[in-house]
Amino acid sequence: MLEVTDLTVAYGTVVALHGISLTVADSSITAVLGANGAGKTTLVRTISGLTRPRGGSVRLDGRDITRLAPEEIARLGVAHVPQGQGVLAELTVDENLRLGGLWRRDPKGQRGALAEAYELFPPLASRRHLAAFSLSGGERQMLSVGRALVARPRMLLLDEPSLGLARRALIQIMARIKTLVAERGLAVLLIEQNAKSALSVADDAMVLHLGKVVAQGRAHQLLSEEGLRHAYLGF
Amino acid sequence: MSRFLVLTLNGLTQGAIYAAMALALVMIWRATRIINFAQGAMAMFTTYLALFAVDHGAPYWAGFVVALSSGLLLGAIVERVIVRPVETAPPLNVVILTLGLLLFLEALAPMAFGGQIRSFPPAFSIVGLHLGNSQVAFSPFDAFTLGSVLAVMVLLLLLFQKTNLGLRMRASAFNPEVSRLLGIRVGRMLTLGWALASLVGALAGVLIAPSLLLYPTFMDQVLVFGFTGAVLGGLDSAVGAVVGGLLIGFALSFVGGYLGSDLETVGALVILIAVLMVRPRGLFSLQRLRQV
Amino acid sequence: MVAAQSRIDRLVRPTLSRHLLLALGAAVLLLLLSTQIGAYDDYNLTAVAIFAIAAAGLNLLTGVNGQLSLGHGALMAIGAYTASLLLKDHPLPVVVVLLVAVLSSGLTGIVFGYAAARLRGPYLAGATLTLAVALPQVATRYKSIFGGEEGLTVPPTSPPAWLGADFPPERWLAWIALAAAVVTMVLLANLLRSPVGRAFKAVRDNEAAAALAGIDVARTQVLAFVISAACAGLAGALFAYWSGVTAPAGFGLSLSLQLITAIVIGGLGSLAGAVWGSVVLVFVPQLTSGMASSLNVPSSIANNLPLAIYGGILVIAMLVAPHGIQGAFRRILTIGRARWGHTPAGGQKGVVDWDDPASDT
Repeated sequence: MLEVTDLTVAYGTVVALHGISLTVADSSITAVLGANGAGKTTLVRTISGLTRPRGGSVRLDGRDITRLAPEEIARLGVAHVPQGQGVLAELTVDENLRLGGLWRRDPKGQRGALAEAYELFPPLASRRHLAAFSLSGGERQMLSVGRALVARPRMLLLDEPSLGLARRALIQIMARIKTLVAERGLAVLLIEQNAKSALSVADDAMVLHLGKVVAQGRAHQLLSEEGLRHAYLGF
Repeated sequence: MSRFLVLTLNGLTQGAIYAAMALALVMIWRATRIINFAQGAMAMFTTYLALFAVDHGAPYWAGFVVALSSGLLLGAIVERVIVRPVETAPPLNVVILTLGLLLFLEALAPMAFGGQIRSFPPAFSIVGLHLGNSQVAFSPFDAFTLGSVLAVMVLLLLLFQKTNLGLRMRASAFNPEVSRLLGIRVGRMLTLGWALASLVGALAGVLIAPSLLLYPTFMDQVLVFGFTGAVLGGLDSAVGAVVGGLLIGFALSFVGGYLGSDLETVGALVILIAVLMVRPRGLFSLQRLRQV
Repeated sequence: MVAAQSRIDRLVRPTLSRHLLLALGAAVLLLLLSTQIGAYDDYNLTAVAIFAIAAAGLNLLTGVNGQLSLGHGALMAIGAYTASLLLKDHPLPVVVVLLVAVLSSGLTGIVFGYAAARLRGPYLAGATLTLAVALPQVATRYKSIFGGEEGLTVPPTSPPAWLGADFPPERWLAWIALAAAVVTMVLLANLLRSPVGRAFKAVRDNEAAAALAGIDVARTQVLAFVISAACAGLAGALFAYWSGVTAPAGFGLSLSLQLITAIVIGGLGSLAGAVWGSVVLVFVPQLTSGMASSLNVPSSIANNLPLAIYGGILVIAMLVAPHGIQGAFRRILTIGRARWGHTPAGGQKGVVDWDDPASDT
C-alpha cells in the first residue's frame, strides 16, 4: 500500500505539486488524470525517487521512502515504467527484460518471470536477440512494461502507457495487469491523459490541475460527473 | 629484416599499448561522459609503485600485480572521492578537475619517489626472437605485450557481454536514470567502471615503461596517442578505440622511422587534426539512439 | 554641482573612456610601485604582468568563449622563439620584437583556429593537448634553428640612455611588461563589451541559438582563438626577455596547465581574475621555496610543491568554489545585496557550459 501525504514538489521557484495526498491500496488500480503540465509525471517521479520533494512524505507499507535513492525504492518492489518507454536502446530485448529482475538475485524465479513476459508479449519473443532500437514504438512499450513485470513488483507506476501503443496492445497489457492486480495483490498507479480508457480500468481516480487535486474518489463516480469530465478530462 | 617490416612490428606492439590507453579512456567516456585526462598520470603513478616494490626486493611479477591492483584501487578512489561530487557540474569543470589531478600526480610522484629518470624492467627478454637463421624484430616481451593487452580486452569483453554484472554496467552507462529504476546501484557500477579502466591504464604503464624509461611525465605522450587513437575510433566505440590505437601505433612508427623520432607527436597532431577536420566526432562515430 | 556631476558622467560613461581612465590610474600606480620596490620585486612584477597577459587571453577563449585550450603554453613558446630568433644575431627595438611575436602567434592561431573551429569539448581539448606536447619536440628536432634542448639565449634589453646610466634593467623590463599588460587589458576589456565580445559569450552559452541569431559561429571561434593566441605570443616574447633563455623544457604541458590554474583561480570569464591568478602563479613558488629552505625540505619536494599545490587547487576549486576568487567576490556581493533587500543578480555565470551535442542523457 502506498500513502502519499501532503507532497510538495518544486523546480526552483516553480511549484509543480501543491501538497498532494493520495492512497493506493493493494489489489487496486488508481488513475491519475489531468492535462499536460498538471504534475502527473512529477508525482510519479517523486514516488519512485527520481525527484526530491520539498515537503510531505511517501510511505510504502508504512515505511518512509520519501528520501530514498531510486534504486533502493526499486528494490523494495516499486517498478516505474517511465513516460516514453525508457527502453535501453542499445541492449537486446532479452537483456532489457533480464535487467528488470536482476536485483532479486533469484535466477530460477527470474527464468519463470522471463518466460511469462515472453508469453504475454509474443512480439518480444520473436525479437529476443535484437537490439531494442529496432523495435517499433508499440513493441518498445511492451518491452518496458514486460521489464517492469519481470521484477515481480508489488507496486507498479505506469506513466502514460497508451502513448504510441496500438489499441489492441494496450488492451492486452491492461488485461494482464488487471490479472496481476487480482491474483498477486499488485498496486497500480496509472498516469494517463486518455482519461476515458483509464477510468474504465481503474478502481479509484484522482484529477490533477496545475499541481493541485481537483477531484478524487471512486472511478465510476468521476465518470458520472459530467462537469468535471468536460472541464478537466476532455470528454 | 627490411625496415618496413621492422617498423610494422614496432607499430604493432606500440599500437597495442596505445589501444589499451584508448580503451581506458573510452570506458570512462562511455560510462560518465568524461575524458579522464589524468589517466596517463594515474598509470605513471601505479608504475612507480611497482618499481618501488621491485626496488625493495619484490620479484618482477609481484611488482606487476602491485601495478594492476593499485590501478584498480586508484580508479575506484578517484571516482568515488573526486569525480562523484561533481557529477552534475558542467563538463568543463570536470575536465579541469582531471587536469588538476594530472598536475597533482605528476608533482607527487617525484616528491614521493624522486625525480630522476629510472629504468623499468621488462617482463621478458627484449632481444628479438630467432626465426630460422635470421633475427626478427619481435621479442618475447613484445609477444607478452600483445598477449596481455589482448587477454585484458577479451576478459573485459566477456565481462561486459556475458555477465550480469557487465550487463548492469552497460545499462548504467547507457542510461543511469532508467537503470536506477531497475534497482541497479549505478554509483557502484561507475566506481567499478573507473577501477577497471584504471587497471587497463596501469597495464599500459608497465608495458611501455621499459622502452620509455620511468619519469614523472613519461605517460604524457601515451595519453596523447591513446586519446588520438580513441578519437580516431570515435569515443563511443570500444572496438573503435582499439582499432584507432593500433592505427596510431602504425602511423607513428612509420613517421618516427622515416621522418625522425622527434616528430612522432607532431605526426599524431597532424593525423588528429586531419581526421577531426573531416569528421569532427571521430572516424567511426555513429549517431546512437540512447533512449526512445 | 549638478553640472559638474553630469560632466564627469559624460566622461566616465562611454566604455572606452572608462577603461582608459582605469588604465591610466593603474599605470600610474604601477609606475610608482615599481620605483619603490627593489630589482628582485621588479622581476616578479614583470612575471605577473607576463602571466596576466597570457591568462587574460586564455580566459577570453575559455572563460568567455567556452573553448578549452590546453595548448597555450605552446603558443607562448611560439612568441618566445620568435623573439629569440629575431634577437639571435642583432638587437632590435623591443616594440618591433613584440609586434612580430604577436603576429607569428596570431598567425598560428589562425591556422589552428580554423583547423579546430568545428571541434567541441573533449575533441578540442585533446587537439590542443596534442599541440602542447608536440610543439616542444619540433624545437629539439630542428636543433640548428631552435637550439635543441639547451635552446636559445636572449640578450637582456637595456634601458634607453635618457633614463640615466643607473636605471636598473629589471625596472625597465617591468615597465615594458606592465605597459603591454595594461594595453592588453584595455583592449580586451573593450572587446568584451563590444558586439564581438557579446558574440563570444552567446556562442558559449548556446551555440544553436547564437547561430539562429545570425552570429557566424565558426568565425567567432576562430577570432577568439586568434586573439588569445596573440596574447600568448606577446606574453611569450616578454617571457623570453625575462628569463633570458628560450628552451623547450620551459614550455611543456605543465605551463599550459598552470595557465588554466590561473584562470580558474581568478574566475573563468573574468579579466581581473586573470591578474589574481597570475599573482598566485608567481608567488606560490617563492613561498614554497622559502618555506622549504627554512624547513630544510629536500629539493625533490621543494621543486614540485608548487605544481602539486596548483593541481590541488584545481581539484579543490572544482569541488568547492568553481567560480574562483572573482566569483567569490561576486557571490559575496550578491548575497550581501539580497540580505539588504535588493533582488539578487540573475544567473551566476562563472563557469561555462560545454556544448556537447553527442550527449543526450
